[in-house]
Amino acid sequence: MKWNSIRTKVLAVLAVCLAVGVGGTLMLLNYSFAKNSQALAVESVAGAQRLFNILETREISKMTAVSDTLVLNQQVRDAFAARDRGLLLTLNAPLYSELKTQGITNWMFHTPEPDMAVFLRLHSPQKFGDPLNRFIDKEVVRTHAIVAGNELAKAGFALRIIRPFPGPDGKLIGYVEFGEEIGRFIHEMKKQTGDDYGLLLNKRFVNPKFWADTSASLHRRDNWADNPTFVVADKTSATESIIQFQGDLANVAGSGKVLDRFNDGDSVFVRGIFPILDAANNTVGAMFVVRDISGVYRSMRNTQNMLLTVSVAGLLLVAVLMLTLLNRLIFRRLDRIIVVATRVVGGDFQTEIHVGSPDEIGRFEQLFEQFRCVFVDLLTNVPELQEKD
Amino acid sequence: MSVLYDLRILIEKKIAADGLDEVTVKGEIGLRTGRLVSLISVRTPDDPVAIAKMRQAAKDLLNISI
Repeated sequence: MKWNSIRTKVLAVLAVCLAVGVGGTLMLLNYSFAKNSQALAVESVAGAQRLFNILETREISKMTAVSDTLVLNQQVRDAFAARDRGLLLTLNAPLYSELKTQGITNWMFHTPEPDMAVFLRLHSPQKFGDPLNRFIDKEVVRTHAIVAGNELAKAGFALRIIRPFPGPDGKLIGYVEFGEEIGRFIHEMKKQTGDDYGLLLNKRFVNPKFWADTSASLHRRDNWADNPTFVVADKTSATESIIQFQGDLANVAGSGKVLDRFNDGDSVFVRGIFPILDAANNTVGAMFVVRDISGVYRSMRNTQNMLLTVSVAGLLLVAVLMLTLLNRLIFRRLDRIIVVATRVVGGDFQTEIHVGSPDEIGRFEQLFEQFRCVFVDLLTNVPELQEKD
Repeated sequence: MSVLYDLRILIEKKIAADGLDEVTVKGEIGLRTGRLVSLISVRTPDDPVAIAKMRQAAKDLLNISI
């Protein structure tokens, strides 16, 4: 290959075009994938937050409906008014067993203010009498209406409702409270979306000793020391490695935040986080969302490979067509002129140059043929040549 | 006698011996030396530069040292 030939230069330009075309296509696809994965991450966080709110609302409605029915039950009301803890437990135990299967794990009766305290725990009957001083307790005392919200206990997060319990004469005889562990929400969310979730609790609101005791009683690893500012209360993934968050949960924006995209083996994930507020609007925890976007990634890769193949094939085809065209229109005709010129110099005065086309090369062919005729005419009068003939 | 003419004769003999296209080969030699080989005769005056070019062209194109 001659480096200074027009063919080589044209090929070099086409190769550069190929490289730029392919590089541009790859960059465009990577940019598109980055944008799409960001959009998916944003959608994951927003979707998870919406779903969580829907579940929360649904469970609050369910617990409210149960409490509505309960306050109308005369036997229960009388037993509570009479402070008959044993009878109250006997009357409600069957319903509590049923409610537990529906996720309502906490059910309590409280005595009214000013010495508001736990009168009966259906889920732990032997434990009672402890005073109440949570935000929702103060709110229900202040408003005497149903108060609902998340409440971070010493060892976990629960969605609770508390409402006044009126006696036979309509006067307040105490309060009734229902609660559900929020941890189970993430498993339901996982079933619905296929995404993985982690429930994080801000360590500032959790008692480490209680956390250790609860971990022991639930036969789970005490993960208190795993992260500096939060503890993973529950998760849908077998591994905690996908839950990576640096920072303070309290600073996570209300609408959530997209964290990053990461690879785990052949899979590609995006992750984000949104805050979980308690009834007093404190950011006491957060929901971690991990979405597997491997399908989108593979689709992008397939498109990328297809476009790459099409681009390379297309540019190679263009290269072949260009060179064929250049060969027919220019190179072959120039070669022919060189052959004729050589033969004329070698003594062949008969071979003519035919004008192939009235283009630029054609004009040169015509000029060269005229020049050849003049040259031949000149040579025919040279004595040496006449002697030979 | 002319050395250039002797070289012409040797070249023509080689072309004939190898069965080459005489017109083409003499044309290429002519283009390299700047002379029409057919015009070299016994009366052609010797020119050292032209002789050197002719020998070099013969070596390049016919692979002969003359």
